[in-house]
Amino acid sequence: MSMVKLVNVRKSFGNLEVLKGVDLEIQPGEVVCIIGASGSGKSTMLRCLNHLERITDGEIYIEGELADKRENNKDLMKIDPVKVQTLCTDLGMVFQNFNLFPHLSVIDNVTIAPIIVKKADKNEIEKIALDLLKEVGLSDKKDEYPSRLSGGQQQRVAIARALAMDPKIMMFDEPTSALDPELVGEVLGTMRHLAEKGMTMIIVTHEIGFAREVADRVIFMDQGVICEQGTPEDVILNPKEERTKSFLNKIL
Amino acid sequence: MLNQTQLWAIFDGTVVTVEIAIVAIILGAFFGVIVALGRLSKNKVANAVSWFYIWFFRGTPLLLQLFIIYFAIPIIYLDSTGMTFNINPMVGAFIAFSLNSTAYLAEIIRAAIESIDSGQMEAAKALGMSYRQAMTKIVIPQTFKRLVAPVGNEFIMLLKDTSLVSTIALFDLLRTVKTMASSDGNWIYYVYAAAIYLFLTTIIQVAFDKIEKKLGVYERQGN
Repeated sequence: MSMVKLVNVRKSFGNLEVLKGVDLEIQPGEVVCIIGASGSGKSTMLRCLNHLERITDGEIYIEGELADKRENNKDLMKIDPVKVQTLCTDLGMVFQNFNLFPHLSVIDNVTIAPIIVKKADKNEIEKIALDLLKEVGLSDKKDEYPSRLSGGQQQRVAIARALAMDPKIMMFDEPTSALDPELVGEVLGTMRHLAEKGMTMIIVTHEIGFAREVADRVIFMDQGVICEQGTPEDVILNPKEERTKSFLNKIL
Repeated sequence: MLNQTQLWAIFDGTVVTVEIAIVAIILGAFFGVIVALGRLSKNKVANAVSWFYIWFFRGTPLLLQLFIIYFAIPIIYLDSTGMTFNINPMVGAFIAFSLNSTAYLAEIIRAAIESIDSGQMEAAKALGMSYRQAMTKIVIPQTFKRLVAPVGNEFIMLLKDTSLVSTIALFDLLRTVKTMASSDGNWIYYVYAAAIYLFLTTIIQVAFDKIEKKLGVYERQGN
């Protein structure tokens, strides 16, 4: 059973069609990197998966369960909102701009969602949170506020925060694009570690080197459709499509 | 100098002034949050009702609102039911000032909520929080620091505007000293009143500055 499945997904913002019929299936443990120019619909696709944006047409399945089915911007199926919320918590998300909660300490950033959404026991979740912070190398920062951390540290806290909800899939939306170059490595390191542990990951990125190294599959998106996909060797080293070639030429 | 009766009269007037301002700021903040959420709501009815509320109470003079509550409503009641209905002037003042400050505070709160980066709501939703949980735990707490200065402003305005209640048979600070000044032709009472107003607004200013600093702790960068 696939972890995530998109069937003919379309998404429009007003007259602008950003996704023009995307079909995609992701298997458990798979690490998928999505590359493509700005405006190609990569981020929108991620945001549709966890309902930050609602799709205009198509179907979304999460772990085999229908999470959304729409046509012309209208629901074709009434899906229990509680069920949708539960399915969405299986999708952890890491944002380009970290979006840590600035009024909460690092440890509280990690524990707040499990406490209020999953009604987790405070002591238990704090133990888990400390382990997660240790894993991302920040246990000594647990009582700091996010404003006192570097961008790389903030992004690693954001990864720990998403992991604290015990997601089955982690989605990364250009996680290193807002970072100073010298801080990119530490975040990619944390992500590599996560991939090695078998996490299912969907990563929208411009780090082609990283994609080559960790991805099981690379997807090149262009103008709202999946233009080419395959192993990193296929897509990055031997692209078949003209559009893929010209994109890679521009950024490499 | 002031004799004891005058001293107590000024004290009582000051209490009236302070009471109205405090009741209005507290009730105004409470209902202001509700009206602000109405303005931000996607529900058309909630949106229209709160828009209309703000439009009316910001768009008409506070003095007029006070008159409507204290003078007009008892007359309307008498005309429609044939029974007399007298509103206690203090209660009337509490209601009018609270309704009015609700409108102003609602706009202050709405603007503060909208000033919080939309990524905060998205991150909260991506972590599985409902709109309500995201609002109460993530977005609204971040508005507190941004609210302190404009709410302090509103509080000071309210404190001074309480002098309008002299028109509905209440002896607030200003009316008390005015009565004294006109009875013995001495202007010094106005100086006392000014000193008391300044004393009260200074307390508010200093207290709100402190609160703002305290709430801003998490925004301080570096070591």
